[in-house]
Amino acid sequence: MITRLMKAMKLHWVKVLFLVLICFTACDKEKALPVFGEREVVGTDTVYHTIAPFQFVDQDSTVVTNATFKDQIYVTDFFFTSCRTICPIMKTQMLRVYQATAEMPDVKILSHTIDPEYDTVALLHDFAKRLGVTDNRWRFVTGVKDSIYKIAQTSYFATAMEDKSEPDGFIHSGAFLLIDKKQRIRGKYDGTKEEEVNKLIADIKKLRREDAL
Amino acid sequence: MRFRIFAFVLMAMAIACVPGSKGDVKFQQYYTEGEMLYQQHCANCHQVDGTGLGKLFPPLAKSDYMDNNREAVICLIRYGIKGEVLVNGVSYNQEMKGIPTLTDLEIAEIASYIYNSWGNEEEWVDVLQATKILAACKINE
Repeated sequence: MITRLMKAMKLHWVKVLFLVLICFTACDKEKALPVFGEREVVGTDTVYHTIAPFQFVDQDSTVVTNATFKDQIYVTDFFFTSCRTICPIMKTQMLRVYQATAEMPDVKILSHTIDPEYDTVALLHDFAKRLGVTDNRWRFVTGVKDSIYKIAQTSYFATAMEDKSEPDGFIHSGAFLLIDKKQRIRGKYDGTKEEEVNKLIADIKKLRREDAL
Repeated sequence: MRFRIFAFVLMAMAIACVPGSKGDVKFQQYYTEGEMLYQQHCANCHQVDGTGLGKLFPPLAKSDYMDNNREAVICLIRYGIKGEVLVNGVSYNQEMKGIPTLTDLEIAEIASYIYNSWGNEEEWVDVLQATKILAACKINE
């Protein structure tokens, strides 16, 4: 009687183990990151908000456009070198992203200056070098001021504009935005908060797994 | 028993009142206020742990520049600094704007904090010293 019961229980255990295994492979499928912005349904396709065409110049005088990030994931933000408020914290945190993604050739960083009159290519080059950026995985770009403000507001939903009443002359958000390989916004994080940037780094890995599927 | 308590209180007072000692209640007040002000005005660039950022913002923790330029450090908190600065053999060249709204006392508090944090163990700065140093600052504009 007892041995029979034990046998039955053993069988039961095998079933449970089997179910657990199935769950690990199927039930535990990751929830995909959201896609930000408005969407339109055209026929049977959903058209998502994407980053508008842009053209800027980086710290090495290289022209940077949407094509630069073709089939690339990138993280982007808006800052200026003479800013003493939130930018240094953002750069401290972005440096963590840069270091965390060192072994990920498909992940890039794009930092826009919102003070292009002061932040020249030469100044950005010096800034990047002093920050410890040694390759073009992290591009610091400058360009036509209005184009920078426009792309910030309409493509990345980030705040960036001049305001003489502010201590440093500009208002801008400390947001880091995560852009996928289809130029869609997949995440928005507070670049002044360590925990949020931890989440960004985790989401980059998630996005890469999604791409690998 | 009563005598013992009295003696203890007397001893505690004696220790607390040695002027310039780190056990001084006044130093503790300066340090606590200084820490708050530091986090508000300085930590963005120089970091909460005083390590600075790359070759952009110099460290305050174990900095030969701070050890050798006590007066200049107190002055630059108010008036800022421009041009190249060598700290521990590394060149830094990012303009730091001063904070003219800080009072002599607040600058003394910040100086007391940064000179006694992150392994730094220097004499602290009281408001009288700060006022004297600040009055003699060479302002280069």
